[in-house]
Amino acid sequence: MSQSSFDHAIEAFGFIERLENIPNIQGVIDEMSKSLSIFGFENFIITGLPNLKERFDQVVLLKKWPIGWFEIYTKKDYVRSDPVIRLCRNTVQPFEWSEAPYDREGDPRAAEVMDRATDFRMKNGFCLPIHGINGYEACLSMSGINLDLSSRTKPALHLMAMYAFERTRQLLDPLPCRRTDLLTPREREALMWAAAGKSAADTGDILGITERTVTAHIASACQKLNATNKTQAVARAMQYKLIQI
Amino acid sequence: MTCVHVITHGNRALYEESIQQFFRLRHQVFVEERGWSGLRRFDGFEIDAYDNEYAIYLLAIDDGRVVGGQRLYPTLLPHMISEVFPKMVQRGVPQAADIFEWTRYFVVKERRTGRTDCRLLAAMQEFCLEEGISEVTAVVEMWWLPRWQQAGFKVRPLGLPQTIDEQPCIAAAVEISEASLDHVRRLAGLRGASLIRHGRTSRPIHRVPHAVA
Repeated sequence: MSQSSFDHAIEAFGFIERLENIPNIQGVIDEMSKSLSIFGFENFIITGLPNLKERFDQVVLLKKWPIGWFEIYTKKDYVRSDPVIRLCRNTVQPFEWSEAPYDREGDPRAAEVMDRATDFRMKNGFCLPIHGINGYEACLSMSGINLDLSSRTKPALHLMAMYAFERTRQLLDPLPCRRTDLLTPREREALMWAAAGKSAADTGDILGITERTVTAHIASACQKLNATNKTQAVARAMQYKLIQI
Repeated sequence: MTCVHVITHGNRALYEESIQQFFRLRHQVFVEERGWSGLRRFDGFEIDAYDNEYAIYLLAIDDGRVVGGQRLYPTLLPHMISEVFPKMVQRGVPQAADIFEWTRYFVVKERRTGRTDCRLLAAMQEFCLEEGISEVTAVVEMWWLPRWQQAGFKVRPLGLPQTIDEQPCIAAAVEISEASLDHVRRLAGLRGASLIRHGRTSRPIHRVPHAVA
């Protein structure tokens, strides 16, 4: 192993150990500011990916962003057109902002997000998507102008990001998130089998519960999803990514 | 209903059919789906050098059908991290009687949104607690890390991530604890023990020959 990747390992392990004893979010932000600045990062955010009903500011876990940028980003609802957020939903691999595709001609909103970000020294960036248990989606995105991003530094940053996210999650306890808390595991299972074309009786056989119980789970899911029937409940659950088939 | 069965050398004869299903599913999941081409075999069974008398399998079985599985193997014997992935470890390969290596974890495609994942994770913690195992080590794709952590597992990196087959992977140690078991059970709404032991499953921790240590 080269000397420099050894240093990065020490840096990353040290960061992880220090995080464990940090008691609050401001402490995490300070530690991240210090450790990420070594790699040239000036700004960062840890955020959940909002579903259609959530506003961006409701899902942000922590941030060190220029105030002006956060205001514009929220006001203009950029989260719906941000190519970085879009790519986050579709990959589990870390990526540089420049790798997030968009069509400058056909998608001027996406171009606007990326262009205006540079006004706030957010020219280049590195984004770490997080796909948690029960469909919880989040990311840590960090940016700056002169970044030390290479095959030597990325593994350390990747690891540091996962632990920064985890410490933040512990401190805020958004647990697999209200979105997934919405339905119980049984309700999700019942809807999944409904989506697969199974009747309540079939589903009961598969799950080893009575047909009546299956119907009760589905009725309860309908209520929570504000759906008038099973079909709409399945559609909504898929839309919110509570179930997948 | 899905239950997780403990299969060791001692009771394997009772589970021959399930073990064969498990090997075939491993080929489907790891070779065909995940693209670990080095494991490809013409007969469609993924079996390696560690599928021997020391391997312990925890298989999720629903009405005779294997829907997920995982393997534990003593770290006092040559194991994958010590033999295949020693370069993934920058802080020394953990090897002790109460440390096992955790490999070949998967859930079949159609069960990935249900509780099977949590059931298997809980079963691993539960089994290790019962057997006095304090830690398991594993090499996994990085996207596993937040999933484990959200399941309540305490994960210690053993090295920096490295790319294997174009996927960033990491060698890590997972602590075994009552707290983690409680957390993952709560998350999935699982009540109480879910491990099934048929026949003689022996005490794996005592079966490793001392000479190799």
